[in-house]
Amino acid sequence: MYELRNVTKRYTRGKETVHALEGVDLTIADGDRLVIQGPTGGGKSTLLQMLGGLDRPTEGEVVLDGTDLARLPEARLTKIRSENIGFVFQSFNLIPTLTAQENVETALVPLGAKGKERRELAADALESVGLGERLGHLPGEMSGGQQQRVAIARALVKQPKVLLADEPTGNLDESMRDEIMDVLERMWKELGLTFIMVTHDSSIAKKAPRLATIRKGRISVEENTTNS
Amino acid sequence: MFFTYLRRELRRRRKAALVVASGLALGIALVIVVNSVSSGMGKAQEKVLQSLYGLGTDMTVTKAAEPQASGSDRPRFQFDARDSGSDEEQSSDVVMVQGFETLAGSTVTKVGAQSGVSDAAGGLSLQVIKVDGQFTRGQVQQNGNGGDQQGAGPGPSGGTSSEPQGEVRGGGADFDVNSYSVFGTDVTKPALGPLTSSKITSGRTFTSTETDAKVAVVDSAYAKEKKLKVGSTVTIKSVKFKVIGVATADSGDSAANLYIPLEQAQTIGDAKNKVTTIYVKATGSQRIDAVKSAIQKNIPGTTVTTSADLADTVSGSLSTASSLATTVGKWLSIAVLVAAFLVAGLLTSSAVSRRVREFGTLKALGWRSGRVTRQVVGEAMVNGLLGGALGIALGLAGAYAVTAVSPTLQAQLGGGAGGGTGGGPGGFGGGPGRAAAKTLDVALTAPVSVTTVAIAVGLAVTGGLIAGAFGGWRASRLRPADALRRVE
Repeated sequence: MYELRNVTKRYTRGKETVHALEGVDLTIADGDRLVIQGPTGGGKSTLLQMLGGLDRPTEGEVVLDGTDLARLPEARLTKIRSENIGFVFQSFNLIPTLTAQENVETALVPLGAKGKERRELAADALESVGLGERLGHLPGEMSGGQQQRVAIARALVKQPKVLLADEPTGNLDESMRDEIMDVLERMWKELGLTFIMVTHDSSIAKKAPRLATIRKGRISVEENTTNS
Repeated sequence: MFFTYLRRELRRRRKAALVVASGLALGIALVIVVNSVSSGMGKAQEKVLQSLYGLGTDMTVTKAAEPQASGSDRPRFQFDARDSGSDEEQSSDVVMVQGFETLAGSTVTKVGAQSGVSDAAGGLSLQVIKVDGQFTRGQVQQNGNGGDQQGAGPGPSGGTSSEPQGEVRGGGADFDVNSYSVFGTDVTKPALGPLTSSKITSGRTFTSTETDAKVAVVDSAYAKEKKLKVGSTVTIKSVKFKVIGVATADSGDSAANLYIPLEQAQTIGDAKNKVTTIYVKATGSQRIDAVKSAIQKNIPGTTVTTSADLADTVSGSLSTASSLATTVGKWLSIAVLVAAFLVAGLLTSSAVSRRVREFGTLKALGWRSGRVTRQVVGEAMVNGLLGGALGIALGLAGAYAVTAVSPTLQAQLGGGAGGGTGGGPGGFGGGPGRAAAKTLDVALTAPVSVTTVAIAVGLAVTGGLIAGAFGGWRASRLRPADALRRVE
């Protein structure tokens, strides 16, 4: 469970101070599915990075299961990321020189999984996203949708508690978008994840049970009872 | 995963890897070639120096020759003229102590007693000039009466006007001058002295009991010229010496034409208990300077010359090439290496910059900074080792080429600098037969030692580490949020 209390993030860009987040309070229960939307530069990605422990707030607390991520030493934060949080990025962020299977394996390296176990888990994860036949393919040899599925397999192979997706369909056409959303929704349901996704796509936002909107660093959350 | 990732990355960026490796290879190859050529020059110089003082000698002690005020010490030969019909040959030889004033034999003991001296042996350098041939009177021929009268010698007879007028005709001299060097060696100390730089190629060398024996070892070149061999006899100042061995100098240039026991040399050189040079071996190479100072302090009036002093007198193309190798070569290698290290570092750092998203993603996945840094350093190390292997191959090829070509270098010894280093011409101790500056031809080789290869490997690792440090430092400072934000 996430509890964000008065989270503020400011940073300087040249002589200007940018207020990316201003006093954000937010609670996300385990197994929730939250969609964050808002205009470009509104603070969506910054909020996602706070939730993922990739960045620290200037003020406030980001509490995950009772631990304030904002005050953890880097090593412990890294450990929490490696064990509990899966990321899916808009640009897939796959390592171009590694095969699909090896890319998925990279998420298991920090957990100390050994070679054979790692390969088996990675193969299973790819199988679960429908890429069982593409284990040895390089990212460059796959379509955008397939690459994003590899990224999803990478995020989920370690069985995290939280899945954070930053515009996962932003680089995909409509059919691929639906395909990826189907995979993500299926995984959310099957694995009981807390699933937080940033998107510009209003058609996806409309289907979310909870919708958070960020404008100029301030957040408002609305429940969509029809989709829950 | 480490090696898989490493292999794939190096394959993907093989052009950049090749540039880094080539830069390092060039620097390392230069270091190997310069190092081996320097080593070859050192060996060449050593060979030249050894031709003067032999192996095992660390320094020599001499007494510098005083400038000669008159020609009184110059050799003089006196022959009586014979009748014109006589074919009698006359011979005269003069034996001179060569080059230096002599030192008392007791000085050898004094030098040997100095702290840090392992052993000391005296030697006496002699120069023998032998003139032999026919010297006949001229004939006085009277004008008009046709009578002949023998004159007292060539030229006008000095007759008065009342006596018959005539002139001296015929007579004269037909002689041969043979000059050679003789070295009196201390046969009880066979490990010291100039004979140690020669190998006995025929017969034997002296035994330690032959301190006053009439035996000689002859240099192979002189033996060939004079048709001498083991068992032949050579006569010096009417003393007959039996040739017991033929010695060939390692450098091709011998220290003396003949070697005889020291006591015999002192007798024929009229230098009883005298030596011209004391050959000294120190207890350790690090003590040479201390021993030199001690001898100079405790035995006044002597000149102590170490091999380092003598090395300073080497000139000619060997010296030029040697200084080129040690100055230009060294700095060129350093410059190329520094440039190669910098290029490798900057390229690695730039590669990290291009892979910001990659490393940011890995950090987001939970890779610690140390693991990411190790990956970068690992890649740089492989580049370094690749460069090292390439550099060693290039360097060995270069050194082999130098050795195959074996360019000839000239070494001039003692010329113009003798007074300052060895107390006279002849440089280090003024080995026998060195009355003037000496020029030797030496073939240059470039031996590659294990140390040189070890240095090359060390440089390759250093290059890899420096490059890795550049890249690793950048990678370790990368914060995942910044990395991911920068690509959005």
